[in-house]
Amino acid sequence: MLPLAELKRFAREGARVLAAEPDLAQVELYCSSAEQLVMRLNYTSDIPSNGVEECKSLGADGFAIRIVPRRNSHEIGTAFVAGDLSVAAIREALERARRAAVIDPHFPGLPDGPGRIEIGKSGANDLIRASSARMVETAWGIVDGAIRAFTARMPPGIDRRGLVLGGDLSITRDRFAIASSNFDGVRAEQSACFSSSVTALVETLDARSTATAVGASIAELVRTVPRLGGEAVRRALALGDGEQPAPGKHRVLLGPQPIAEILCYLVVPSLTTGAFHAANSAYLGRFGGGVMDERISLADEPAGRARALMRAITCEGLPARRSELIRDGRLIGLLSNHYDSHRLAHDEHRGEKLGPHAPANPLFPAASGYRLGEGGGRRFDATPGTAATNIVMHSRGSVSERELIAAVGEGIYVGRVWYTYPINGQRAGDFTCTITGDSYLIRNGKLAAPLKPNRLRINANLEEIFRAPMAAGKRIEPVTVWGSPEMFYVPALACDAISLSAVNADN
Amino acid sequence: MKNRDLFEAVEFLRRDGEELLRRFARSHRGVTYADLRFEAVFHRSCVASDGEPRESVESESASFGVTVWVDGPDAGAGNFFGAGQYGAEIGALALDRKKLMAALRAALEEAGARARASARAGAAVRRRLGGGRFGVRAAALAQGPPPARDDVAAVFRDDPRTLDPEALKRLTREASACARDVSSAIVYNVAAALIELRRELFVSTAGAALTQAFAFAQGDCYVVAETPQGHQETYDSIGQQRGFEVLSEGCASALQPTPDLVSFANALAREAAELAEAPVLKPPASEVTVVTDPHFNALLAHEIVGHPSEADRALKMEAAYAGRSWLLRSPAASEIGNPIGAPILSACSDPTLVGYGHYRYDHEGTPGRRVMHLDRGVFRGFLNSRATAAILDAEPNGSARASAACYVPLIRMSNTFFMAGADDPARMIADVEHGYYVCGSQIPSIAESRENFRISARRVYEIENGRLGRLYRSGSVLGDSKRFFMNVDAVGNDLRLIAIPNCGKGQPMQAKRMSNGGPTLRSRARLAGG
Repeated sequence: MLPLAELKRFAREGARVLAAEPDLAQVELYCSSAEQLVMRLNYTSDIPSNGVEECKSLGADGFAIRIVPRRNSHEIGTAFVAGDLSVAAIREALERARRAAVIDPHFPGLPDGPGRIEIGKSGANDLIRASSARMVETAWGIVDGAIRAFTARMPPGIDRRGLVLGGDLSITRDRFAIASSNFDGVRAEQSACFSSSVTALVETLDARSTATAVGASIAELVRTVPRLGGEAVRRALALGDGEQPAPGKHRVLLGPQPIAEILCYLVVPSLTTGAFHAANSAYLGRFGGGVMDERISLADEPAGRARALMRAITCEGLPARRSELIRDGRLIGLLSNHYDSHRLAHDEHRGEKLGPHAPANPLFPAASGYRLGEGGGRRFDATPGTAATNIVMHSRGSVSERELIAAVGEGIYVGRVWYTYPINGQRAGDFTCTITGDSYLIRNGKLAAPLKPNRLRINANLEEIFRAPMAAGKRIEPVTVWGSPEMFYVPALACDAISLSAVNADN
Repeated sequence: MKNRDLFEAVEFLRRDGEELLRRFARSHRGVTYADLRFEAVFHRSCVASDGEPRESVESESASFGVTVWVDGPDAGAGNFFGAGQYGAEIGALALDRKKLMAALRAALEEAGARARASARAGAAVRRRLGGGRFGVRAAALAQGPPPARDDVAAVFRDDPRTLDPEALKRLTREASACARDVSSAIVYNVAAALIELRRELFVSTAGAALTQAFAFAQGDCYVVAETPQGHQETYDSIGQQRGFEVLSEGCASALQPTPDLVSFANALAREAAELAEAPVLKPPASEVTVVTDPHFNALLAHEIVGHPSEADRALKMEAAYAGRSWLLRSPAASEIGNPIGAPILSACSDPTLVGYGHYRYDHEGTPGRRVMHLDRGVFRGFLNSRATAAILDAEPNGSARASAACYVPLIRMSNTFFMAGADDPARMIADVEHGYYVCGSQIPSIAESRENFRISARRVYEIENGRLGRLYRSGSVLGDSKRFFMNVDAVGNDLRLIAIPNCGKGQPMQAKRMSNGGPTLRSRARLAGG
């Protein structure tokens, strides 16, 4: 990765070069250096496998410029360049940006923010320097732990082991700097975090479990990751000989992972100014009103205590602020980037889209504009879009796990789901997902028996989950969602009358 | 045209890349294989929303990926090895030959170090576990055809690099304006288009040295319609491996007919407006006859044939992220040779066809070829890579592809589709006393091994006495995969491929272009409504 000092120097020099162009009213130069290190696991006891399948990395350095010509304040040109941080490359990018310029009547100009940004706790940590060698060692430690746990506890009398171990250990790290004609100086930041998700399937028992860890230091990585293999295997072995309840309406205790998936794919995309402007938010017309149970609050915390992601500055050079989205069940905030804030503010149908409970002139600060790649790190070649960082859900009156299960009485604990999708459009709030593992039947207020994985599909609506949960858990757990750049810190929620259908249509 | 042409770096590496790899392998003990992938990409894209321009981008980029395999410390005792990869976007630095070669040498060193570290750590784990408790040893790469040395040109009429920059902006804006003006029910729309020229290089220590160039033209449209009766969000994409001419004029290909971007946006907006006024489907509880159109069957082919036929998926290498495959329980216990569909149903993957998933060689240098998955109802085979072909004791069939050179290749569909039958689609509907005609696909929900599915449709028509009746929205088809295929009793003669712009797979996620499709099919299934 390029050093932060080099990025800052380039941003400063580049902005000066651009600002010297007489035909430009506003200029912005964004440069970043990002890397994702991934150790992918693949161990199958009965099929040839490598154990640690891939030891790989993906690096990307480059810059993007945005220019606003003097001739028209609504004209915006964009270009980006990979690899070459030089003045010659800036001049070439300038030619491209001029060719690519469009006149967007809704373009409000480049972001302008406070003169200075106070950066509190920096996102820099020792993961910035973590080596491949440590990652490889740790990944093999996961595999070692899993095989040991399995061979120590393998059920007797089976002729095939049937252990499948998959997942990965990833570090995402990035540095960026941004300079603009609309604010002083260069704004820069760096951050790094790790995530690891390890899934064990014991095919002979039709059992599956996943163990995960996220964090922001090598010490945390060393402490939490190596044991994930053994943990996933031990839990999977305990989930064998599962039962399959009949489809129908059930009381369901959704664990943190299912809650995170629903938030990731349905709720958070609906809590943006862009979704309200596009009239596809599941909460259209309800800003300011009740959208969840009054005990529930939801916020985006870019620099919260003990959160894996740390952002003090957005990719638009603006302060990354805590955004309170839902307070005591009422929708009071939206995530936004600079363009969408302005777009919704000037939307002629804004009143109708926000709804009757919205304040007269609500402000949606552009505190969530990020340029993110597939792996979640900052990317120079991504257009600023709206993204969350650490999504945190709390509930008043929350209870212990034992009390949660007791509140359900008779039902199902859902530990893990996947393929969570909105169906019937985002606005409808309907979704479906499949229960894949780490799940139990609840009887007499206790966990009674494992649930067979991959047998039941949840078909529900956001209202059924969040409007009147029976109870919420006290413990907030960190969860990552595959392919999503956000981290989720969420409790479990107990819900009544959730429709479950059999995955096998013939059952 | 500017002075520097990033595509020249491909030529340079075609000449010097092989020597670079040879020197690296010779000077590093234990290296058994290394390869280099490099690509240069010219990209132009535009977005318009509600009839107004929103964004336009023009870029040139370059990236590379290297893979190194090394023998483990106990080489010769069972073929243990380590593999390391390194990928990076290098961009215009590729024009500086010294810097490019320095970056590649450093990448090979790092990939080699990872491979050695993994081989050592893996051998240590195996020794510690002892007594064969590790399990089955990894297989070597399967030997495919002789290493390829070839150059494949892109096909296009309008060169993306010399296109008037205003042409794509105008077209995108016109498409969005056309969608907006279809009806007052259209409350929001986005029209996007891209044209791209890519030139890829693959060289390996096995002797492969080949370049392939591709032109891509793609259009995407998203429409939100609202009426007093309801709300509809609809999206779709078009794409061809051609130049801008496809977006401006359309393409009359028999296999993958593609409207021009404006007509495409217009039709999608009309459909959204119509669906917003249509009632939500309230289907019967029992199984019904369903006639599914090629667009719906594209997603069926993708999710229920294509993905489960990817050997890495079948061999449980993706179980943690995306599940397993209903077509294989173990290498010794698969559906190969077993009937899984009606005798009139066949399906294949074929990169040699000119669809959005066309290519001549995969990213391991193996020639792509047609792979039959379903042959008159009988399952015949998987898409594979050299490593998975070795496990399955099969010939490599050229299906390992990455979304960009800096990513590790995964097993991917190419043009994967149900093959054409002999039935007239109109007759297939006319013969139905009561059933449903299901058109267009939206969202899949599938079981862990894809043995069962729920796929939502865009339009559902009730069929009464052979005639199409009422239009409904928010309908989905639910089925057991094998049962659905076994119950197919008619296969149309109207094969169509649909461009799929973004199939996500892998960690980190790679979004790959491909095409899927099929003819009209008729079978039995349950339906779900809104």
